[in-house]
Amino acid sequence: MPTIAKVWIEEDCITCDACQDILPEVFEVTDDTSQIKADVREDGAFDRNTGLSAIKNEFRSEFSDLIEEAADACPVEIIKFEYEGGVAEEVAEEVAPAASEAVVAPVAVADAGADAGVLAGVLSGDRSLAIFFGSQTGNAAGLAEKTAKRAVAYGLEPTVIDMDGYDQAQFSSHKRILIITSTWGEGEMPDNADELWNATVAANPSLAGVHYSVCAIGDSSYDEFCKAGEDWDQKFASLGATSILEMKMCDVDFDEPWNEWVTEVLPRIACVDSSGVFHEDLVEAMIAYGAGDEDDEGADGDFNPPTIEQAPMSLTMRIFRYDPIKAQSGYDTIAVALPGHATIEDALVAIKREADGSLTFRSGSISGLNPLTGVKANGRILPADTTRISDLVSDGGTLTVEPLPGYEVLKDLMVSYDRYDDSRANSKPWLEADPRQGERLASGAPMGVMESAQATRLHALADVGSLQLVNAMSDTFDVDDVYSGPGIALQRWVRSQDPRSGNSHVKKMFELMQRKGGVWDEADISSIQRHGIDGSQAADSLYAARSRLLAEYKFTGKSGRLVKVYSRSVKMSGNVNETTLYRSVLGPLGLGSNIMNGVSLRMMLGFTRNGGPMMRGFQGMLVPPAGIGKIPDMFNSKVVNHHEVVAIFNELDRRF
Amino acid sequence: MVKYSYYPGNVARQSSREVEDTIQPLCRSLGIELIEMVGYNGDGGNIIKQGNRDLQLALNARNLAIAMKNGHDIITPCASAQGILHDSLKTFRENPIALADANRVLEMTTGMTLDVSEITTNHLLHVLVDEIGLDKVEAAVVNPLDMDIACYYGPHMQIEGACGNDDAWNPSYMEQLITALGGRPVEYKTKTSSVGNPSLLSLGDSVMKMTARVLNDAKKAGAQVLVSACTQSHSNLDSYQGKAGRVSGKDTDIPVVNFTEIIAFALGHFTDRFAQLKTRAMLIGS
Repeated sequence: MPTIAKVWIEEDCITCDACQDILPEVFEVTDDTSQIKADVREDGAFDRNTGLSAIKNEFRSEFSDLIEEAADACPVEIIKFEYEGGVAEEVAEEVAPAASEAVVAPVAVADAGADAGVLAGVLSGDRSLAIFFGSQTGNAAGLAEKTAKRAVAYGLEPTVIDMDGYDQAQFSSHKRILIITSTWGEGEMPDNADELWNATVAANPSLAGVHYSVCAIGDSSYDEFCKAGEDWDQKFASLGATSILEMKMCDVDFDEPWNEWVTEVLPRIACVDSSGVFHEDLVEAMIAYGAGDEDDEGADGDFNPPTIEQAPMSLTMRIFRYDPIKAQSGYDTIAVALPGHATIEDALVAIKREADGSLTFRSGSISGLNPLTGVKANGRILPADTTRISDLVSDGGTLTVEPLPGYEVLKDLMVSYDRYDDSRANSKPWLEADPRQGERLASGAPMGVMESAQATRLHALADVGSLQLVNAMSDTFDVDDVYSGPGIALQRWVRSQDPRSGNSHVKKMFELMQRKGGVWDEADISSIQRHGIDGSQAADSLYAARSRLLAEYKFTGKSGRLVKVYSRSVKMSGNVNETTLYRSVLGPLGLGSNIMNGVSLRMMLGFTRNGGPMMRGFQGMLVPPAGIGKIPDMFNSKVVNHHEVVAIFNELDRRF
Repeated sequence: MVKYSYYPGNVARQSSREVEDTIQPLCRSLGIELIEMVGYNGDGGNIIKQGNRDLQLALNARNLAIAMKNGHDIITPCASAQGILHDSLKTFRENPIALADANRVLEMTTGMTLDVSEITTNHLLHVLVDEIGLDKVEAAVVNPLDMDIACYYGPHMQIEGACGNDDAWNPSYMEQLITALGGRPVEYKTKTSSVGNPSLLSLGDSVMKMTARVLNDAKKAGAQVLVSACTQSHSNLDSYQGKAGRVSGKDTDIPVVNFTEIIAFALGHFTDRFAQLKTRAMLIGS
């Protein structure tokens, strides 16, 4: 294999970054063009190397393959190179098959040519292929892109389409559709597919004339394995679309089953002609054609990578800045232009690189979500490394990025997670089994292990992206230094529900949740619940934990009394009786405090409010118990059909 | 005339009579007929849910079934009530087992069953903007507000699907409404933050600090008056504002009214109360 001696960049670079992604040691993409880096060149310059300076000897063998790969990947084919001995790229391409693929390549090309003749009718006209992805973590999106690359070999013109923001009414405009989707949580659509799914279910558009197939990825340890894919498959069938290949279900190791599916589905869907008719008799010929085309593509490098349909966007970013040395804070405002798929972190990196190198934030890894990259973006608590800006703001809008609330800000957007770490360390929410694994119960069943259903339930309970971020979702966490936060509460609750946990450990988890700093310190669970899937998950756990603790500790404490008195009050009349509530929950001391703090006076006088006749306020003040104020009806009249309310209580909870 | 089943929430007919006073005439002025939900019960305030989730769901199923029997979707002036009703409805729509359980109890105790496809819940704010139209509201204004007004939404209904077509995270419907009523909306940071109302009686300082944060933010932004879309939270923001100021050390003095009041005032109802408010805004407000 000859090594490459020179590489250079011709004009018209579109700065797509493909070469830099493949070989950052040689290529660097600036604002205008890709350049050849100085470190690898004999002349030590940094430009397009149109002067044809040679690559340093020590790098030639190491980088040759990757330079060729980068040249192949270049969509506008402007990366040129020269082998040692002065053989130019174009010549080398003709020589290369002779050296390594002399037998295979010509045969494949000949077959492809023959098949192309047979397939001429199918290969003409509209060859579009729409590949939709529903993706939560990026796996399905990645498979969609890989599918698109392979589709080109079958004469198809693929477009990868993010389900997010897609109009269901446009489905019927396609003749060929492939859907690749993951399943989230307990059989739910991934976030980016949810809206489209609901719109499709609501509209039920006719899809007669559409050929499709679904590749579903999931986790077989869940009951609803690949449910999202099944839903799409059944919905498309019910709307009149024709399945070109049975749905493929892929487990967590999805590469192989996806490969089986794509190998089979592409030649089949490629045999759907421009009028929407499927020619099954041509599938074998299409397979051969695809194989030949694939070899051909390898020879001349004429491959156009698919693009994800998301237009570039311009926006204004307001970024919180904090200088710990001067103890000064404020906001920087900067106008930015970004690719449509850019994440918050992408934008921050670009600003740091182009505008202000002192901007400080936590950055994630390219491989996926880092639980510590959280920021507050337009009010939402989100991981910066995986959150697309287009999901938060439209083109021309403003994105305000602030540090996570509730944590100490070290600098700019970087916070210290010590508060979280300390709370976690103090509560020790890790597994402490009792008795030891390996022993057996009296029944003979093994201890220290879980059945699949239990494991699934436990896993689902704790299935959030970042517990540090869950803490910051609470509006209380920011004002109460003692509160350990909903993320810690979630961990304690999950561990208390773990059947492997020893009794003493479960008891300790309950105590930690019940005491100051525990689950009752959350003032408003609704403020957490609205933060997407993770917030909803944490809120559900808080409600479940509180319910369990009320049973465990017999409605003791102010919070316990509140639930009990409130519930009884509704049972007694159908509506909450605030008088009873104030008196029973606050008690004499609380009422006294209200009087001393002017709360009662404000209630009575409607001091800032304009609540109508003052007699209402006096009524509240004068009729026992005094100090209630603002309570016009001391005793609730019962609602019509009150017996129904009582019956509901008696049926579901006789404690009240 | 647009018809809705009227759910007052937990306090509009109890401690916050000013809401009941004002919603009736303002709806008449704007062509909304409020159909009484005979026998409606409290929604549980997310407090009953802490003891027994299924119990709160069943209570809300009864309210939803009563509205369904009326033949009209629900309207409520309280953000907290809207959030709870929406959450219940969403649970029933997404979880057929929960719906079946609730319907079993409902049928046994009331003879009714709930069909979730036949009912929606709406906050008055979203009905005014999405259905009635701000142009119609503007045309009905008799006394333009002519004040700097901060709008408080709270977190309860600021969730996708519960707040009409408004942006759940950066809502603007109330600001648009204030503009249509001749007022000047003031932007501030914490308009969807919680003031901790569900824990008003059980937690002390943290709820006061949360309340003070909202009041102080609004005041610092230049508001003369704070308008609350949440009847429940109004109690924190109004009656407890002095205490909140003392606990937090922040300036919290600002007149706070329910948003039904401010609409009714602009539409020409309760001119005496409006005069009081303007006087108080001049004396207390920023």
